[in-house]
Amino acid sequence: MRERSDIRGGSRAAAFLLCAFLGASPAAAQELTTSLVDIHQGSWLSDRARGLGNGGYELQDGSWVSFNRWYHSNWVDMHVDFLTQLTENSGILWGFGTGEQAEKYRIAPSLKLGFLTQTHPSLNSTLSLSVTSTFGGNLTEKPCVADYGELGTYSVNCRLAAGETAPEETLKYLVNATPERLRLWLNYRVTF
Amino acid sequence: MSGNFWKFGIAAALVLLPASIALAQDALDADQTAALCHGGGSICVSAKIPAARTTLAVQSWMSPDVGAAWAAGYKGQGVTITIVDDFSSSSRFSGNFGIGTQYQRHGEWTREEASMIAPSATIRSKDFSTGSAVSLASGRNVLNLSYGMYATAGYGVNQIGWAPEEKSIISYATWGSAVVSKAAGNDSVAVGGVTGGQQDYLDLALIGKPTAIFVGALSTNGTTSNKAQLAWYSNYAGSNTAVQSHFLVVGVEGNKTGLYGTSFAAPIISGYAAIIGSKFTSATPVQITNDLLNTARTDTLVNYNPAVYGKGEASLSRALAPVAIH
Repeated sequence: MRERSDIRGGSRAAAFLLCAFLGASPAAAQELTTSLVDIHQGSWLSDRARGLGNGGYELQDGSWVSFNRWYHSNWVDMHVDFLTQLTENSGILWGFGTGEQAEKYRIAPSLKLGFLTQTHPSLNSTLSLSVTSTFGGNLTEKPCVADYGELGTYSVNCRLAAGETAPEETLKYLVNATPERLRLWLNYRVTF
Repeated sequence: MSGNFWKFGIAAALVLLPASIALAQDALDADQTAALCHGGGSICVSAKIPAARTTLAVQSWMSPDVGAAWAAGYKGQGVTITIVDDFSSSSRFSGNFGIGTQYQRHGEWTREEASMIAPSATIRSKDFSTGSAVSLASGRNVLNLSYGMYATAGYGVNQIGWAPEEKSIISYATWGSAVVSKAAGNDSVAVGGVTGGQQDYLDLALIGKPTAIFVGALSTNGTTSNKAQLAWYSNYAGSNTAVQSHFLVVGVEGNKTGLYGTSFAAPIISGYAAIIGSKFTSATPVQITNDLLNTARTDTLVNYNPAVYGKGEASLSRALAPVAIH
C-alpha cells in the first residue's frame, strides 16, 4: 500500500512518462499504439476509508471494539492508466480502478476516460493539456446494527454508536464520497 | 397515631441530607427547617427558576465520562430535571464547583451541579417546603431528591401521612413516570436504616419502585488503576436486594469543591439520566433507569460488594454504549 504522497509521486511519474512518450516517438503515433502510463494503488478515498478505522470504544460490558476490524481491507484500490496515441500530438487516456471493500465500506470500481494533446511553442518546449473524467469509484460507508439492550436496537453509524447524537441521527454521518470526477492537467516543458 | 400527627411529624423531620458535612455549622437543624417551611401558616411558593448556565467546562470533580459525553454532543437536551430542594430558607453555605466560591442555599447548589453535568437539560426548581405536588414537564423527566423525610423509627410506610409533594414523587417512581434520583443519606447506615432512633421514610417508600435510584457517595471517581471507596459518611446499600439492585455510587470529590454528602451524588445521577435521555429520545424512565443500573462498573471500586456499593459506580460512557454491535 502506498502513502498518499507516493500516489502523487506516481501521478507525476505518469505525467513524465506521457511527455516522454509523446515527445520522443512521433513515428509511433501513426501506429495507434497503446502504452501503459501509470499503475498505482490507493487514492485519497482509500486514505479516507482507512482513516475511518482509527479509534474505537467500549461496549457496555467493557469489551473494546476497534474500528479497524470494520475498515480494514486486504486489497487497496488499484488504478491502471493507458494512453492510446491517435496522432503525433494527441491521444486518448483511459484506465480503470479495481475498487476495494471492507466489512463496513466499499469503493466501487471505476473507469477513467480522457484525452491528451500537445503543441510545441518552440523547438525546445512542449505545452501539453490533458482532461480526464472518472466514472464510478464512489466510497460508501455501510451502517451497523447496534443493540442497546432495553433501549432498543438501531441501525447506526458504526463509528458513532457510542458517541454521537441519537442513534438514528448517526446515519446522517455515514461517509458517501465521490472521487475526483474531472481532472484538467496543463504542463509546459522546456528542454535545454 | 393520626394522619395529622404524622404530617406534622414528617414536616418537622424534613431535613436536607447534610448539605455539606464539612460545613455542618451552617446547616439548619430539623426544627428550624420545619419552622421556615411550615411555620405561621405560610406557604412556600413553588418556583421555576432557570438554572444559571454558568459554564460548559468539564470540571476536575466530574467523572471523565462527562467530558466524553459532551464531546459527543449529549448534554441533556430534551430532558427536564426537577430539583426538589430548599430554595427559600436562610441557610446558605459556601463551596466551589470550579467556577469560583459561592454562598448558596442547598437547592441552589444541587441545581447548579445538575445543570453543570447536563447543561442542555431544562432545570426546574421545586421548593420542598411547599409540600405541594411535583408536576412533570412534557417529555422525559428526572426528579432530584437530595433530602430525606425522617421520623421516629418503627412505622410502616403506609402509616405515613405523606404530603402531596412526596405522594406525587412516590407515585412517579411507582408508575415509572420519571427517573427519581434519591440521595442515599449521610448516616453511614444501610438505606432505610435506623440512625439516632429515626428512619428516612422517603427512602423506605421508594424501595422497590422501578424508577427510583438510591445514590451513595464515593470519596473519588474510581478508575481501574485507582479504585474508589465509599465515602465515610455515605449510606450503603445494605442486605436488601431490592435496594442493592437500585443503588448506585458516584464520586463526590469534596476535596475539590468543599461540598460533601450524598446530596451532591444524586444530582450527578440526575444529570447522567438527562444525558442518556438526550441520546435515546424515545426511552422511557424505566429504560433510562435500568440502563444506568445495568451498566454500572464494579471494577473501579475497592473490594466491590453489592451490600456496600449496590450495582456499582455509574458509568455514563457505558450507559451510552451499545451492548453489542455488528
